[in-house]
Amino acid sequence: MFGDELTILGLYGLLVVATLLAQATGAMGQLGMGYLLSSRDEGRTAAGMAARLERALANSVTAMALFAPAVLILEARDGFTPLTLACAQIFLLARVVYLPSYAFGVTGLRSLAWSGGFFATVALYFIGLA
Amino acid sequence: MMSAELTVLTLAGLLQVLQFGLMSVPANVELGPGKTLSPRDRSRLGGSLEDQLSERTARLYRALNNHFEGLILFTLAVVVVTLGEASNTLTQACAWIYLAARIAYIPAYAFGLSPWRSLVWFAGFLATTVMLLTALFS
Repeated sequence: MFGDELTILGLYGLLVVATLLAQATGAMGQLGMGYLLSSRDEGRTAAGMAARLERALANSVTAMALFAPAVLILEARDGFTPLTLACAQIFLLARVVYLPSYAFGVTGLRSLAWSGGFFATVALYFIGLA
Repeated sequence: MMSAELTVLTLAGLLQVLQFGLMSVPANVELGPGKTLSPRDRSRLGGSLEDQLSERTARLYRALNNHFEGLILFTLAVVVVTLGEASNTLTQACAWIYLAARIAYIPAYAFGLSPWRSLVWFAGFLATTVMLLTALFS
Protein backbone atom coordinates (compact mmCIF):
# COMPACT_ATOMS: atom_id res chain seq x y z
CA MET A 1 0.00 0.00 0.00
CA PHE A 2 0.94 3.60 -0.51
CA GLY A 3 2.18 5.66 2.36
CA ASP A 4 0.84 9.17 1.86
CA GLU A 5 4.25 10.64 1.14
CA LEU A 6 4.60 8.13 -1.71
CA THR A 7 1.28 9.29 -3.17
CA ILE A 8 2.66 12.82 -3.11
CA LEU A 9 5.80 11.61 -4.88
CA GLY A 10 3.64 9.98 -7.56
CA LEU A 11 1.52 13.12 -7.89
CA TYR A 12 4.63 15.24 -8.26
CA GLY A 13 5.80 12.95 -11.08
CA LEU A 14 2.51 13.66 -12.84
CA LEU A 15 2.97 17.39 -12.25
CA VAL A 16 6.32 17.17 -14.04
CA VAL A 17 4.60 15.28 -16.87
CA ALA A 18 2.04 18.12 -17.11
CA THR A 19 4.84 20.73 -17.06
CA LEU A 20 6.59 18.94 -19.89
CA LEU A 21 3.40 18.84 -21.95
CA ALA A 22 2.86 22.58 -21.38
CA GLN A 23 6.47 23.32 -22.34
CA ALA A 24 6.24 21.17 -25.48
CA THR A 25 2.99 22.90 -26.49
CA GLY A 26 4.61 26.31 -26.11
CA ALA A 27 7.70 25.24 -28.07
CA MET A 28 5.48 23.81 -30.79
CA GLY A 29 3.73 27.15 -31.15
CA GLN A 30 6.94 29.18 -31.36
CA LEU A 31 9.46 26.91 -33.04
CA GLY A 32 7.07 24.87 -35.15
CA MET A 33 6.37 21.16 -35.23
CA GLY A 34 8.75 20.69 -38.18
CA TYR A 35 11.68 22.03 -36.17
CA LEU A 36 10.80 19.99 -33.08
CA LEU A 37 10.66 16.80 -35.16
CA SER A 38 14.01 17.62 -36.80
CA SER A 39 17.39 17.01 -35.17
CA ARG A 40 17.36 20.61 -33.85
CA ASP A 41 20.85 21.25 -35.22
CA GLU A 42 20.17 25.00 -35.53
CA GLY A 43 19.68 25.41 -31.78
CA ARG A 44 16.62 27.68 -32.08
CA THR A 45 15.46 29.13 -28.78
CA ALA A 46 12.00 30.02 -27.57
CA ALA A 47 11.09 33.34 -25.94
CA GLY A 48 8.51 34.62 -23.46
CA MET A 49 6.20 32.12 -21.78
CA ALA A 50 7.53 29.15 -23.77
CA ALA A 51 11.07 29.93 -22.54
CA ARG A 52 9.82 30.39 -18.97
CA LEU A 53 8.14 26.98 -19.12
CA GLU A 54 11.44 25.51 -20.33
CA ARG A 55 13.24 26.94 -17.30
CA ALA A 56 10.39 25.87 -15.00
CA LEU A 57 10.67 22.32 -16.35
CA ALA A 58 14.42 22.18 -15.79
CA ASN A 59 13.93 23.49 -12.25
CA SER A 60 11.12 20.96 -11.59
CA VAL A 61 13.36 18.09 -12.68
CA THR A 62 16.09 19.29 -10.30
CA ALA A 63 13.55 19.52 -7.47
CA MET A 64 12.34 16.00 -8.30
CA ALA A 65 15.86 14.59 -8.15
CA LEU A 66 16.25 16.14 -4.69
CA PHE A 67 12.80 15.32 -3.29
CA ALA A 68 12.62 11.65 -4.36
CA PRO A 69 15.68 10.43 -2.35
CA ALA A 70 14.44 12.22 0.79
CA VAL A 71 11.13 10.33 0.59
CA LEU A 72 12.99 7.07 -0.12
CA ILE A 73 15.25 7.47 2.92
CA LEU A 74 12.19 8.02 5.11
CA GLU A 75 10.35 5.07 3.54
CA ALA A 76 13.33 2.74 4.02
CA ARG A 77 13.71 3.78 7.66
CA ASP A 78 9.99 3.75 8.46
CA GLY A 79 10.42 7.40 9.30
CA PHE A 80 7.07 8.81 8.20
CA THR A 81 5.40 11.04 10.78
CA PRO A 82 2.68 13.71 10.57
CA LEU A 83 5.53 16.23 10.28
CA THR A 84 7.07 14.51 7.24
CA LEU A 85 3.62 14.33 5.66
CA ALA A 86 3.18 18.07 6.23
CA CYS A 87 6.60 18.74 4.64
CA ALA A 88 5.69 16.63 1.61
CA GLN A 89 2.34 18.43 1.30
CA ILE A 90 4.07 21.81 1.52
CA PHE A 91 6.51 20.67 -1.16
CA LEU A 92 3.73 19.64 -3.55
CA LEU A 93 1.68 22.78 -2.89
CA ALA A 94 4.73 24.99 -3.39
CA ARG A 95 5.62 23.30 -6.66
CA VAL A 96 2.02 23.59 -7.90
CA VAL A 97 2.17 27.35 -7.17
CA TYR A 98 5.66 27.62 -8.70
CA LEU A 99 4.58 26.57 -12.17
CA PRO A 100 1.96 29.25 -13.00
CA SER A 101 3.91 31.90 -11.10
CA TYR A 102 6.88 31.23 -13.42
CA ALA A 103 4.74 30.90 -16.57
CA PHE A 104 3.04 34.25 -15.92
CA GLY A 105 6.16 35.93 -14.55
CA VAL A 106 4.86 36.69 -11.05
CA THR A 107 8.07 38.02 -9.50
CA GLY A 108 8.39 37.33 -5.78
CA LEU A 109 5.74 34.62 -5.66
CA ARG A 110 7.80 32.32 -7.85
CA SER A 111 10.85 32.65 -5.60
CA LEU A 112 8.70 32.28 -2.49
CA ALA A 113 7.12 29.08 -3.85
CA TRP A 114 10.56 27.75 -4.85
CA SER A 115 11.86 28.42 -1.32
CA GLY A 116 8.85 26.65 0.21
CA GLY A 117 9.54 23.52 -1.83
CA PHE A 118 13.28 23.68 -1.27
CA PHE A 119 13.17 24.09 2.50
CA ALA A 120 10.43 21.44 2.85
CA THR A 121 12.81 19.05 1.04
CA VAL A 122 15.75 20.05 3.25
CA ALA A 123 13.56 19.47 6.33
CA LEU A 124 12.80 15.93 5.08
CA TYR A 125 16.53 15.19 4.87
CA PHE A 126 17.14 16.44 8.40
CA ILE A 127 14.22 14.37 9.73
CA GLY A 128 15.35 11.33 7.74
CA LEU A 129 18.92 11.54 8.99
CA ALA A 130 18.06 12.42 12.61
CA MET B 1 15.02 -11.61 -7.01
CA MET B 2 14.72 -8.22 -8.64
CA SER B 3 11.37 -7.19 -10.08
CA ALA B 4 11.16 -6.58 -13.82
CA GLU B 5 10.88 -2.82 -13.19
CA LEU B 6 14.07 -2.74 -11.09
CA THR B 7 15.92 -4.86 -13.66
CA VAL B 8 14.93 -2.37 -16.37
CA LEU B 9 15.93 0.55 -14.14
CA THR B 10 19.39 -1.00 -13.74
CA LEU B 11 19.68 -1.51 -17.49
CA ALA B 12 18.49 2.07 -18.11
CA GLY B 13 21.24 3.29 -15.76
CA LEU B 14 23.80 1.30 -17.74
CA LEU B 15 22.34 2.72 -20.95
CA GLN B 16 23.07 6.18 -19.59
CA VAL B 17 26.69 5.13 -18.94
CA LEU B 18 26.88 3.86 -22.53
CA GLN B 19 25.36 7.10 -23.86
CA PHE B 20 27.92 9.08 -21.92
CA GLY B 21 30.70 7.07 -23.57
CA LEU B 22 29.16 7.47 -27.03
CA MET B 23 29.15 11.24 -26.55
CA SER B 24 32.35 11.83 -24.62
CA VAL B 25 34.76 9.83 -26.79
CA PRO B 26 34.06 11.73 -30.04
CA ALA B 27 33.68 15.00 -28.08
CA ASN B 28 37.18 14.61 -26.60
CA VAL B 29 38.61 13.73 -30.01
CA GLU B 30 36.96 16.74 -31.65
CA LEU B 31 37.67 19.35 -28.97
CA GLY B 32 40.99 18.06 -27.68
CA PRO B 33 42.01 17.68 -24.03
CA GLY B 34 43.11 21.34 -23.90
CA LYS B 35 39.45 22.31 -23.96
CA THR B 36 37.76 19.37 -22.24
CA LEU B 37 40.17 19.30 -19.29
CA SER B 38 40.00 23.09 -18.86
CA PRO B 39 37.41 24.76 -16.62
CA ARG B 40 35.49 25.31 -19.85
CA ASP B 41 35.16 29.06 -19.44
CA ARG B 42 33.44 30.64 -22.41
CA SER B 43 36.35 33.03 -22.87
CA ARG B 44 38.77 30.14 -23.19
CA LEU B 45 36.55 28.01 -25.42
CA GLY B 46 35.34 30.85 -27.60
CA GLY B 47 31.64 30.07 -27.10
CA SER B 48 29.60 27.16 -25.81
CA LEU B 49 31.07 23.69 -25.90
CA GLU B 50 28.12 22.16 -27.76
CA ASP B 51 28.46 24.62 -30.65
CA GLN B 52 31.99 23.39 -31.37
CA LEU B 53 31.05 19.73 -31.72
CA SER B 54 30.34 18.07 -35.03
CA GLU B 55 26.67 17.73 -35.91
CA ARG B 56 26.47 14.06 -34.94
CA THR B 57 28.31 14.51 -31.63
CA ALA B 58 26.12 17.50 -30.76
CA ARG B 59 23.09 15.29 -31.37
CA LEU B 60 24.52 12.61 -29.07
CA TYR B 61 25.08 15.34 -26.47
CA ARG B 62 21.45 16.42 -26.68
CA ALA B 63 20.30 12.79 -26.60
CA LEU B 64 22.33 12.24 -23.40
CA ASN B 65 20.80 15.28 -21.70
CA ASN B 66 17.33 14.25 -22.77
CA HIS B 67 17.81 10.83 -21.21
CA PHE B 68 18.86 12.38 -17.88
CA GLU B 69 15.43 13.99 -17.75
CA GLY B 70 13.60 10.85 -18.85
CA LEU B 71 15.59 8.70 -16.45
CA ILE B 72 14.74 10.81 -13.39
CA LEU B 73 11.04 10.57 -14.18
CA PHE B 74 11.31 6.84 -14.92
CA THR B 75 13.19 6.25 -11.64
CA LEU B 76 10.36 7.94 -9.78
CA ALA B 77 7.79 5.76 -11.59
CA VAL B 78 9.72 2.57 -10.73
CA VAL B 79 9.99 3.63 -7.10
CA VAL B 80 6.29 4.34 -6.63
CA VAL B 81 5.30 1.15 -8.49
CA THR B 82 7.74 -0.97 -6.45
CA LEU B 83 7.13 0.52 -3.01
CA GLY B 84 3.40 0.86 -3.66
CA GLU B 85 3.40 -2.85 -4.58
CA ALA B 86 1.52 -1.93 -7.74
CA SER B 87 3.61 -4.03 -10.12
CA ASN B 88 1.58 -5.96 -12.68
CA THR B 89 1.90 -7.13 -16.29
CA LEU B 90 1.08 -3.63 -17.54
CA THR B 91 3.76 -1.84 -15.50
CA GLN B 92 6.33 -4.50 -16.42
CA ALA B 93 5.47 -4.14 -20.10
CA CYS B 94 5.69 -0.33 -19.76
CA ALA B 95 9.15 -0.62 -18.20
CA TRP B 96 10.43 -2.70 -21.12
CA ILE B 97 8.78 -0.35 -23.62
CA TYR B 98 10.58 2.55 -21.93
CA LEU B 99 13.95 0.82 -22.27
CA ALA B 100 13.35 -0.18 -25.89
CA ALA B 101 12.26 3.38 -26.73
CA ARG B 102 15.31 4.94 -25.07
CA ILE B 103 17.65 2.57 -26.93
CA ALA B 104 15.95 3.37 -30.27
CA TYR B 105 16.10 7.09 -29.43
CA ILE B 106 19.91 7.19 -29.70
CA PRO B 107 20.32 6.14 -33.37
CA ALA B 108 17.10 7.99 -34.23
CA TYR B 109 18.71 11.20 -32.94
CA ALA B 110 22.24 10.53 -34.22
CA PHE B 111 21.02 9.85 -37.76
CA GLY B 112 18.35 12.56 -37.66
CA LEU B 113 15.45 10.20 -38.32
CA SER B 114 12.45 12.53 -38.23
CA PRO B 115 9.75 12.04 -36.96
CA TRP B 116 10.91 8.68 -35.52
CA ARG B 117 13.02 10.27 -32.82
CA SER B 118 9.98 12.15 -31.51
CA LEU B 119 7.75 9.09 -31.77
CA VAL B 120 10.08 6.82 -29.77
CA TRP B 121 10.60 9.64 -27.25
CA PHE B 122 6.83 9.83 -26.86
CA ALA B 123 6.56 6.05 -26.40
CA GLY B 124 9.01 6.20 -23.49
CA PHE B 125 7.28 9.22 -22.00
CA LEU B 126 3.85 7.62 -22.28
CA ALA B 127 5.07 4.33 -20.75
CA THR B 128 6.44 6.29 -17.75
CA THR B 129 3.18 8.21 -17.33
CA VAL B 130 1.14 4.97 -17.44
CA MET B 131 3.36 3.52 -14.67
CA LEU B 132 2.80 6.61 -12.51
CA LEU B 133 -0.96 6.50 -13.04
CA THR B 134 -1.09 2.74 -12.34
CA ALA B 135 0.78 3.22 -9.05
CA LEU B 136 -1.56 6.02 -8.05
CA PHE B 137 -4.82 4.22 -8.80
CA SER B 138 -3.95 0.68 -7.71
